[in-house]
Amino acid sequence: MSRRAVIAGVGHTAFGKFPDRTAWDLEAEAAAAAVADAGLRPADVDGLLTDPGAVQGILDGITPHFLRLGAQLGLDPTYTGSEILGGAGSVAIVERAALAVEAGLCEACLCVYGDSALSGADAYGYGRGDEAAFGFFGAAGLHALAARRHMHRYGTRPEHLGEVAVAARAYAARVPHAQKRGALGMDEYLASDPIVEPLRRLDCCLVSDGAAAVVVTTAERAAGSRRPAIPILGHAQAHSLSTYASPDHFDALPASRSGPEAFGRAGVAPADVDVALLYDCFTIVVLLQLEDYGFCEKGEAGPFVEGGRIGPGGSLPVNTSGGLLAEGYGGGMLHVIEAVRQLRGDAGDRQVADAEVALVSGHGLGMNTHATLVLGV
Amino acid sequence: MEVSACADCGHLFLPPGPCCPRCWSRRLAARAVSGNGRVWSFATYRRTYHPAMPAPYVVALVELDEGPRLISNVVGCAPEDVAIDMPVRVRFEEVGEFTLPRFEPLSGGGRS
Repeated sequence: MSRRAVIAGVGHTAFGKFPDRTAWDLEAEAAAAAVADAGLRPADVDGLLTDPGAVQGILDGITPHFLRLGAQLGLDPTYTGSEILGGAGSVAIVERAALAVEAGLCEACLCVYGDSALSGADAYGYGRGDEAAFGFFGAAGLHALAARRHMHRYGTRPEHLGEVAVAARAYAARVPHAQKRGALGMDEYLASDPIVEPLRRLDCCLVSDGAAAVVVTTAERAAGSRRPAIPILGHAQAHSLSTYASPDHFDALPASRSGPEAFGRAGVAPADVDVALLYDCFTIVVLLQLEDYGFCEKGEAGPFVEGGRIGPGGSLPVNTSGGLLAEGYGGGMLHVIEAVRQLRGDAGDRQVADAEVALVSGHGLGMNTHATLVLGV
Repeated sequence: MEVSACADCGHLFLPPGPCCPRCWSRRLAARAVSGNGRVWSFATYRRTYHPAMPAPYVVALVELDEGPRLISNVVGCAPEDVAIDMPVRVRFEEVGEFTLPRFEPLSGGGRS
């Protein structure tokens, strides 16, 4: 029991456009905030895992990201590494930290996401190899394929995607650090520019400069902290690397495999989830996850979200900090942090009453990678 | 049109690679296929990402009648006329130094 992994500290920078700050500077700020929040000193940190964003990248010449950040933070850890799993990376490194802590490989593992994605190079217009020759650029194109197929198979409508965008902004209006705090109505959503149909501009997440970090340690180590530590009850990953040939590409996300695994380890079911922090690079991904995590039947996510069900006051609060669509692009680490805040009862006027179980997901590299955490108190 | 075929398990696949992605056999060959397929899903680009591909254009995931899927374009009809499950046929287009397999509606008159 004492080696059960917990999240003992969280911290992040502001999110937005900060052309005068480097990703390293942002990461150092987030790291210090998380370690202080955990009631630890820098010398207590003996694990470092990093998720450098797409623009910063994992290598600077031959120097990996964890080495450069570790040097700047003065760390000599017993466990380290960097992961590139796209939007699943931050959730995945928290999972890896939990495994390392539970295995005794380290005692206090700092997990850091950071990037200067808004001020940095345009990494979001990328094409993948030969597919770029067909004009298949950007993550929006891939998710548009998924959205079109969902609409065709199940009758999902633009208004269903809009429910996700509207809910995100309604929550973000309650988040002081959110990048997009203005309210969004359905009419405004439906009038937003088409980017890659059927996706509109307001179906796409923000791009941000910023960093976020959490500290994973043992329940025993966290016992003396003044801040509540949040147990990691269950975790899993599943990936779909065979892309278009894979049966769970587009028609079901790898979440349909990692979800049941993580729920099983945690001993909970979807009906037990009080707040869901679902990776939301595009609105369609939230709908797919509601199905693939078992909150509703396959094909039913559109009707499921109708009437503000996932927004403030709804029966299943989703992305209560506004998520990638409105809070800021935090690689998925902001989703982890919001789960911790909800379970600590620290979420201010967006607090979900009596929140005891939170689901956190990461989804990345188009539709290839997925990671799941179940946190609970 | 040709796809990769595994000489051991018979699996047909795209893109070509060093081994069969199903049984890992390295005994591979190219096999001719009909070039006919269906639109499995598609995305209509309304924003120009690259000057060589001015919007609007359609990127489609095409499922060949023989099974493999590939990313390509649907050409030879208006973007508004593309639909999931629409039968399409390959037509090869010279683009600079490359030859690209693009698809047109099967009922579209065969301008390849």
